[in-house]
Amino acid sequence: MEPELPQSYRRATLVDLLDRVLDRGLFLRADIVIAVAGIPLIGATLSLAVAGTDTMLKYGILSDWDEAIRAVPPPQRQSLLAEPSGTRTA
Amino acid sequence: MIVERENPTTASADGLYVYCVARGDGPCLLGAIGLEGKTVYGVAAGGIRAVVHDCRPEPYQSQDPHVLKGWLASHQDVVSAATQAFGTVLPMAFDMIVRGDAQTGTLAAMKGWLEQNRERFTRLLDRLASKAEYGVQVLWDRAVIAAALVEGRAPLRALRDEAMSKPRGLAHLLQQKLAKATREALEMQAQAFAQDFYARIRGCVDDVRVEPLKKGDGPGQMLLNLSCLMPEGERELGDVLDAIQALEGVTVRFTGPWPPYSFVGA
Repeated sequence: MEPELPQSYRRATLVDLLDRVLDRGLFLRADIVIAVAGIPLIGATLSLAVAGTDTMLKYGILSDWDEAIRAVPPPQRQSLLAEPSGTRTA
Repeated sequence: MIVERENPTTASADGLYVYCVARGDGPCLLGAIGLEGKTVYGVAAGGIRAVVHDCRPEPYQSQDPHVLKGWLASHQDVVSAATQAFGTVLPMAFDMIVRGDAQTGTLAAMKGWLEQNRERFTRLLDRLASKAEYGVQVLWDRAVIAAALVEGRAPLRALRDEAMSKPRGLAHLLQQKLAKATREALEMQAQAFAQDFYARIRGCVDDVRVEPLKKGDGPGQMLLNLSCLMPEGERELGDVLDAIQALEGVTVRFTGPWPPYSFVGA
């Protein structure tokens, strides 16, 4: 059975990739690298380009956790907020 | 597919674009999978290998989003291919290009960097072995949570009911008071959720980085933005995320497995 999962957590977006590839990852020592100065520009350009879009990538890095780490459908949604618990102070 | 053979490149490339660092010795070729179809190969020194392509000694720059997206996608594709070929890798940030100076050629500079960082890279590769990065973002729908809070807390519920029963002028004042109390309750709830979710997620992964919260395009407001490191296929996180996702008005975004971009820094 394939559970119906909300689109919102099924897809990695270009933004997810940008966050990682532009801001994280290993950097090189300044004296042998030449390209560090270019990164903010590329980030800014791309952030503008993807604003308002939800670009789906196709690299096998996008998945929900059921596909990615196991194969059990999630339980029914429930309301745990509706009633205050006994320990909560009013 | 890796081919063990001499590098298809001269030793005098002006620049080397670096995708990632992995374990390995000797030359290897990953093929024409780089940015703009460049041939990707390995440069090794002391048991550590950099996955690179030859380029001019200048950064990749473009104003064209399509070109940039293509480059980023290629970068990620090469890191993925290297992961398949070599196992755990240390992914580089985009646009990391090595060049030598007048005394030191580019290839020598590359190998020198690998040798100088050998211990650090070995330590990192050991720590990250067989693990992957997963992105976990928890969002909530403020309107849904606010409604649940008002319904669930007697003082707020009383304010709401009182506002409905009063004449318009007084009702307006009471509604403003309710709105303020609800905002405060939301702030508290957001903090409580973030702390609770963090603790639960932290408890079932090997390492966590707390990333800045982002403003999304959708209706949800982000409460928590984490990068998690854990063995690929580890199932416990799924149970924790299910429990969080099961809360009314709460949504979880989950991405991965990623190369460990967020776990190779200082």
